[in-house]
Amino acid sequence: MNDLGARLPGHRLIYIRDLLRELVGRDMKLRYKRSVLGIAWTLLNPLTQLLVFLFVFNLLLPLNIPHYSSFLFAGILVWNWFQGSLHQSTGAIVDNRELLRRPGFSAAILPIVTVTSHLIHFLLALPVLLLFLMLEGSQWTSALLALPGVMALQFILILSLAYLVATFHVTFRDTQYLLGVLLNLWFYLTPIFYDASTLPAAYQPLYRLNPMVHLIDAYRAILVRGVLPEHPISLLLLGLCATGLLACGYATFVRASAHFAEEL
Amino acid sequence: MGNAIIVQNLSKQFRRYHPDRPWTLQEALLQGLRRMRPAEYFWALYEVSFSIAYGRMVGVIGPNGAGKSTLLRLIGGVGRPDKGTIKVHGQIGALLDLGTGFHAELTGRENVFVSGVIAGLTRREVAQRFDAIVAFAELEEFIDSPLRTYSTGMQMRLGFAIAAHVEPELLLIDEVLSVGDLSFQRKSFERIAEFKAKGCTIVVISHDTSCIRELCDEAIWLQAGRLRAHGSAAEVVDQYVTETEMERLSKQI
Repeated sequence: MNDLGARLPGHRLIYIRDLLRELVGRDMKLRYKRSVLGIAWTLLNPLTQLLVFLFVFNLLLPLNIPHYSSFLFAGILVWNWFQGSLHQSTGAIVDNRELLRRPGFSAAILPIVTVTSHLIHFLLALPVLLLFLMLEGSQWTSALLALPGVMALQFILILSLAYLVATFHVTFRDTQYLLGVLLNLWFYLTPIFYDASTLPAAYQPLYRLNPMVHLIDAYRAILVRGVLPEHPISLLLLGLCATGLLACGYATFVRASAHFAEEL
Repeated sequence: MGNAIIVQNLSKQFRRYHPDRPWTLQEALLQGLRRMRPAEYFWALYEVSFSIAYGRMVGVIGPNGAGKSTLLRLIGGVGRPDKGTIKVHGQIGALLDLGTGFHAELTGRENVFVSGVIAGLTRREVAQRFDAIVAFAELEEFIDSPLRTYSTGMQMRLGFAIAAHVEPELLLIDEVLSVGDLSFQRKSFERIAEFKAKGCTIVVISHDTSCIRELCDEAIWLQAGRLRAHGSAAEVVDQYVTETEMERLSKQI
């Protein structure tokens, strides 16, 4: 039928890009209410966290970490992308039941939308971090070129977990609550307000099983210290594991998605 | 002439859970994971086979719970059949739930883009059709107001207008022909007639048997998940109406 009949081979890709763009755009418009102030509003949370940690670990129990504000803010932003995406992905399926009942709609795009929305929050907060870096006199080096790579790695890791969380929440509706407990624990096991190297060597191997340790270290190397990540091998390994996990998470999601429309 | 839809031995099983089925992990663990298994299964559709040629308009009739909507969803690719196969040729458009993806806080314009893309168009295609969609819905003056300021009828009109501009090769319609006032209903019917004239295959569910007899070429009668009859619209509708009437009378006696 007229122009729809003659579909170009790349059409499917263009369509998926447009679908992603519209769904992410919907999230953004609802959150920011189309105002610059709306963006400032969502920065309130990380900035408050920053102030609390600065108060505690600069004044009360000084940790003596150089460039502590940027060190801290980098950790907070990276963690918030991770935590925010996972938290919201519990609702990615159950809050979109009418989309799932649409012929031809691929549910697998919903967790991608959630993780992408939070990536955009991360990107919008990044200038504030760069401002801190400038104020604390950090040098911008060519190491910044590695930043997109680390972000891609984090995206894959979050997405793989998001598929699992979204699937699990369809069966057990208290996943969001349990995830909150888990993320709370995970927060303290991740070097957000402290430096991982202060942990005794005996615990390091176990501690470093936490993928967020490597990610945050890599971000800080690039942004705060202006060098390339010191352990490229562990990042490579993390990339392989994350890709494997993504395959598992996606497969689980697709297997379960045949029943999503019935279970909601 | 080929077939647009071929359904063979299609069976779909639904799970019915215990009323106390735990919906949280906490309850599930407290109850020792009992009642997680479905309490029983039932066939929403059983051994249904038929084929529909290109360009035909087919009505699906039957009492509530006969499996009509399930059949339409499966043809649309929502859910997986437990047995049998469905083969569908061509781009599917659907009027199952109007206004999918609508959000009250977004403007009519933004909603047209979101909903249009969800319906299967690219952004460029939505942009090309935008004026036609708005004109069809008769909402030119309100298109930049938030959707929450619209009446229910206005929202339904916008939803129908988007669905009607996807220009699918196969259209699935589930009881949404009663949208809006009389003049808008007439416009909707005209639009569907246009699709048909262009060679679009249409499957429509309706309880309005006279409407099916008038508009459709064929009819499919489902009863308790089984195919009772498939043939010319007039014949099948007559059979269905007669039998329903007989049943009603026999109950009175």
